[in-house]
Amino acid sequence: MGCLGCGRQQTNNQLCHDCYRWQQKGKKLLNHTALYQYNDAMRQFMQQYKFNGDYDLRVIFNCVLSQKINILNADIIVPIPVSDHTMVTRGFNQTTGLIEGIQYEQLLKVSAGQKSHQSQFNRKIRMMRKQPFMLIEQVSLEGKEILLVDDVYTTGNTLYHAADLLYECGAKNVKSISLSR
Amino acid sequence: MKSYYGRQLVHAKANKVPENIISSAAFIGNVCQRCGQNVHGKLPNDHFYCRACLALGRVSSLDVLLSFPEPNHFDGNDILSWNGQLTQQQKVVSDELLETLSRQREHLVWAVTGAGKTEMLFPVIHQALSQQYRIAIVSPRVDVILELTPRLQQAFSQTDKVVLHGAQTEEYRYTPLVLATTHQMLRFKSAFDLLIVDEVDSFPYAGDQMLAHAVKNARKINSAVIYLSATPTKTLQQQVKRQSLTTSYLPLRFHQHLLPVLKTAIVGPWRKKLPLKFLRQIKQFSQTKRRFLIFVPKVSDLVSVYQNIKKDFPDMFGDHVYAGDPKRQEKVQNMRDQMIQYLVTTTILERGVTFPGIDVLILGADEKIFSENALVQIAGRVGRNKDRPTGLVKAYIQHTNFKVMAAQRQIRQMNKRGRRLGGRV
Ligand SMILES: [Zn+2]
Ligand SMILES: [Zn+2]
Repeated sequence: MGCLGCGRQQTNNQLCHDCYRWQQKGKKLLNHTALYQYNDAMRQFMQQYKFNGDYDLRVIFNCVLSQKINILNADIIVPIPVSDHTMVTRGFNQTTGLIEGIQYEQLLKVSAGQKSHQSQFNRKIRMMRKQPFMLIEQVSLEGKEILLVDDVYTTGNTLYHAADLLYECGAKNVKSISLSR
Repeated sequence: MKSYYGRQLVHAKANKVPENIISSAAFIGNVCQRCGQNVHGKLPNDHFYCRACLALGRVSSLDVLLSFPEPNHFDGNDILSWNGQLTQQQKVVSDELLETLSRQREHLVWAVTGAGKTEMLFPVIHQALSQQYRIAIVSPRVDVILELTPRLQQAFSQTDKVVLHGAQTEEYRYTPLVLATTHQMLRFKSAFDLLIVDEVDSFPYAGDQMLAHAVKNARKINSAVIYLSATPTKTLQQQVKRQSLTTSYLPLRFHQHLLPVLKTAIVGPWRKKLPLKFLRQIKQFSQTKRRFLIFVPKVSDLVSVYQNIKKDFPDMFGDHVYAGDPKRQEKVQNMRDQMIQYLVTTTILERGVTFPGIDVLILGADEKIFSENALVQIAGRVGRNKDRPTGLVKAYIQHTNFKVMAAQRQIRQMNKRGRRLGGRV
């Protein structure tokens, strides 16, 4: 059993607390798919891969994640970006690393002055933050099915903000997927 | 600021370097300047990172290394609270170590297992502390460090010290005395006036190269280095021969008894069925209540050997342990506390761990995992107690084996020298 909006494990099939709030705010639900629970093993993986920067580890989940993305059959795959600062310190975008080999379009970037990693904020603050992203250039997504990709889904804040921008460009529908939640 | 003295940190080029801080390239050629290795992981945009020292936090081509001079801000009022006596031979070595410190040279102590090398170190450590020197005592093996720590704590109870290794929980502090695994030295730069490397021959896999780099990195330009070993590697022995390394040789144990000889017994395929000779020996142990270790070649041998013994001797309490065993420390402690009579173990207990008054059996001593030096080390587990200075070391082999013979020869040679110094059986 899981939440209809985000797949979170729970005892019923209704919307979870977070998804209910997104709906109340007038968002169209992302119908999110997460491959794995964010358990201890996943926390350790993320620690090694993302925070200790062992980019070689990106291959571990590459195959399963790519397969799942192909099944979802979207017109355009859009990864969540990392900030310029992250690119010159960590040196990679953990999400594009995970889906290496898949055709994607980097339509979004982190607005200047924004920190892309938000681990330092608690849940509530994260849900209230304002739009952290902007479009790299104006594009028309008229009639397109879009799939957003992120590494970890926590509250949905990141993905719903990204989806807002894509809907503004005329996207027909935006879904999302992450390695874990 | 204090916590940065003598340290080497990884710093992203993109972030500003604080003023008055020395910054240097993280890679020269393609060689990692922290660990001296050339093993890369790729990053996007032609950047890369060092895989060899990744466990200490990543160094990449996006980084620089920052280092902080070591100012020796210590008071030098350290007290040696050990009042044991060194034997005459230990005293000779100990004096040579004091000379090593004053002449800032590199020196090897080639001492048999159980020679009492820790005690021999006390005077030179004390001397260095009173000169406000900074001292590191390191070993490639964490067990060795864990065994050393309480003894140094006792001998220098007033001196602030920190213990650093992969699984440690203690946070780093600026202290005159640092106990650490060799790996941790990669986090220091020109920090130590005296560096002591215990069990220098036990460096695993990456070989002497990374060890050499770690030591070179962490010692000051003018400093003394002491290597300790019971079974020096060929490289070290060559350095001794070339006289680029001065040596103290101590072939006699602290209690003046010779090393126990390594006995062998030829047996059939013991993995199928434990040999009769072996079981008879265990029976004797169970009757005499003698405590013992059984070494086996593989982790996969542990349970079956243990269970077969347990089946035949249900009243005798024992356990089995391997390197990755989550209860490793606890099991070793139970053996120390005499809660159990025996442990079936892999080579992890070959050194650094002392259980007084034990005997040792080695199953499959002819298999590859037991090197000549490992066998000498294992034999050295026996006879560590003044009240029982000898004991049984028996290797069960399926065929006569060159390596086992070489280990026997090594022990015989040391005993020959020991006898000249008055050693007894
Ligand atoms: Zn939900
Ligand atoms: Zn390195």
